[in-house]
Amino acid sequence: MKVALPFPFRANSRLWLMLAVLLVSPGIAHGQHSFDLDGHALNPFQDDHAKVVVLLFLRRDCPISSRYAPTIQQISKRYADSATFWLVFPDKTESSDTVRKYLRDYRYNLPALRDPEHELVNLSRVKVTPEAAVFDRNHRLLYDGRIDDWYGSPGGSRPAPRTHDLDDAIRAAVAGKSVDKSDVRGVGCYISDLD
Amino acid sequence: MNIGFRSKVFLACLGLIPLGVRTSLAGSGRSVAEEQKPKSQAARTFNRDVAPVVFNHCAACHRPGGSGPFSLLTYQDVRSHARQIAAVTANRFMPPWLPEPGYGKFVGERRLTDEQIQTIQQWISGGTPEGAAADLPPLPTFSDGWELGKPDLVVKLPPYVLLAGANTDSWPRFVLPIPVSGTRYVRGVEIHPGNPKLVHHCYIAVDRTQTLHIANGEVYEVGSTGMDGQFASGNAELDSRFLTWRPGSPPYMEPEGMTWRLDKDTDLILIMHLLSPGKSEPIQPSVGFYFSDQPPTKTPMIVRLEQDGNIDIPAGARDFEISDDLELPADVKVLSILPHAHYLCKEMRVFATLPDGTRQWLIWVKRWDFDWQGVFRYAEPVSLPKGTILSMRYTYDNSSDNARNPNSPPRRVVGGQKSTEEMADAWIEVLPERREDLFALEIAMMRHKLAKYPQEPSGYADLGAALRAMGKNQEALDPLRQAAQLNPNNVQVQNNLGAVLGSLGNFDEAIPHFREALNLRPDYFMACFNLANALRLHGDLPQATRYLQQAVELKPDSVEAHNQLGLVQARQGKLKEAIAQFQEALRIKPNDPLAQQSLERAQAADSEPETRNKTSKPDIEIRP
Repeated sequence: MKVALPFPFRANSRLWLMLAVLLVSPGIAHGQHSFDLDGHALNPFQDDHAKVVVLLFLRRDCPISSRYAPTIQQISKRYADSATFWLVFPDKTESSDTVRKYLRDYRYNLPALRDPEHELVNLSRVKVTPEAAVFDRNHRLLYDGRIDDWYGSPGGSRPAPRTHDLDDAIRAAVAGKSVDKSDVRGVGCYISDLD
Repeated sequence: MNIGFRSKVFLACLGLIPLGVRTSLAGSGRSVAEEQKPKSQAARTFNRDVAPVVFNHCAACHRPGGSGPFSLLTYQDVRSHARQIAAVTANRFMPPWLPEPGYGKFVGERRLTDEQIQTIQQWISGGTPEGAAADLPPLPTFSDGWELGKPDLVVKLPPYVLLAGANTDSWPRFVLPIPVSGTRYVRGVEIHPGNPKLVHHCYIAVDRTQTLHIANGEVYEVGSTGMDGQFASGNAELDSRFLTWRPGSPPYMEPEGMTWRLDKDTDLILIMHLLSPGKSEPIQPSVGFYFSDQPPTKTPMIVRLEQDGNIDIPAGARDFEISDDLELPADVKVLSILPHAHYLCKEMRVFATLPDGTRQWLIWVKRWDFDWQGVFRYAEPVSLPKGTILSMRYTYDNSSDNARNPNSPPRRVVGGQKSTEEMADAWIEVLPERREDLFALEIAMMRHKLAKYPQEPSGYADLGAALRAMGKNQEALDPLRQAAQLNPNNVQVQNNLGAVLGSLGNFDEAIPHFREALNLRPDYFMACFNLANALRLHGDLPQATRYLQQAVELKPDSVEAHNQLGLVQARQGKLKEAIAQFQEALRIKPNDPLAQQSLERAQAADSEPETRNKTSKPDIEIRP
């Protein structure tokens, strides 16, 4: 779209374009300030293959996150062909070494990112760990929230989960459909505490 | 100036920019501006106001090696979890403490006062200042070693690997091997769960007869969802107290005179509640025992209020009430309480109504949480006189509003040990003022249980066994007969019934029951020995001999069996064999008076040549 732009934007047309894009299509993924475990900036949305992207937010010191490891692995295996999974560690005190050890301990074979500036957190609108965000093939946020309802309260896990929110959301995303509930908050440990 | 369309769009876009800043506070829903409001109260600092609360109420679990998932020992620790702490203390999820204050005063109360909760809130809204270094109290010291001191005996289990993937809690049970060579008296037990982050709580059940171990083999199956085995009593030594562990609960030595007996053929079963792990984890508990030379002069017992068998909660019921009441037949002091239910229970009330009508609260749990169950010990024992009625009133919510309802949609729920079933128990440790009242209490409990479950064979079996243990053989007859009728394959019942009949002189009837017991369990020494004695008293010496020989094979170190065999053999003139038996008895227990006396007589009789062929009693007159 060609417009005559008022000062000061004549000189900063790209910024204007970015802002315009953000305004017009909220939720399009961005991801410039997350890092892989070698410390390189990595954007989980840079993949061109138009796959569904699933971000799983975890904290190492969160027992609920840890207990979900088997479930997360099962889900990621189930949708390995049609979705890309990323484990995201938003806690600022995490280092690549601590994350690597955690991945080894919990036998994760998924790629991991650190998100100390909470860029992915904000994009995904997640509040606690473990929560997940599902982006459809156009990298639009389709679902954010809990993996399932195994935990009804911070101490209270049910004998077994009754819902499978994340699984349902991924399936919908892969099929190009919408989800019933686009956000269902999870129970767990705060992502955004102080520092 | 006229603001054109593009300018409006530009200004609108500017509104988007603060988003990035605001969402970092999304957890609290407050804006940046609010955070900087000046406070009217005196500023709370970590060092002066928050640290004492955290050190005294949180650090016991929230420290390296503790049950908590992260430590809360420093300013940085606490600040980095500040909002989480504020939220979980405000809704009293943490520290975990079920009893309502004012309805029972307990040791180790972990509750925060309203003021302490406010302090934390104010500290955060004041910007979490650290405060003056001089204000910081010293860190409490924690010992990961044995808190009660060096144990006399440590039993460490081989590592049990808890596998990830089941996503459900598990309840494995382990038989603790107790390498004591004889009877010991225990003053204290300290349980180290081995992996406090995954062990939710554990307790030790005392199984005094190995018959039950063998009969209830499935009780020891690892990984089943049942929560406790049924250990029917029926022994002279009643099971007396709680041996438990949960996070933050301090171990303790029994008060003077309150040791408990540990025999070498007693099984101790460690029952653990394990959380499901995210990865395979080894669990390796160890248990320290502290012994004393002093046999107990005071023995508590666990009185149980319950209605498990009569639970039937319809789907959707929100306020389903379960109750049980028991009258105390003697004066007691209440020492501790363990209320228990599963996921549907929401409120628990246990109280005592004294004969004069006054109510003494034992515990009120307003918001039951299955995960934080445990034993609560009274700071001061609660005295209750004879005639007091103990009552429990539990309320259950089997609707879909109950976030922890294991069934979705809700289903009818009955009593049982599985987590999808429900329970209603209040285990109350009482110390009778007079030791002889232990039996009266036991009988009262059993009669009460029979009244609730008249079809339950074990009720009759237990009552009969207890009466027999008290020497009330005539009273024991009826319940034991009932038990044998309802459950003829219970070896204990058959043996007990035989023993009671035998004690009453009714050998005709006793003998078939002993035969049946031995039939059911051919290696059961007691049944074999009892049978032999009954046959002997009934006059059938050859059969008595046969079973005594069997008894001696089953338990070669039984002085009694050797003696009895010797006597029976002597009576049949088999003096050489008799002598051998008495000598064996003396070898096992030198100076045994019966063995000594019998040996002398038998040797004397044997040295008389004319008496070698006689088949009369050992009192042989000497022929000139």
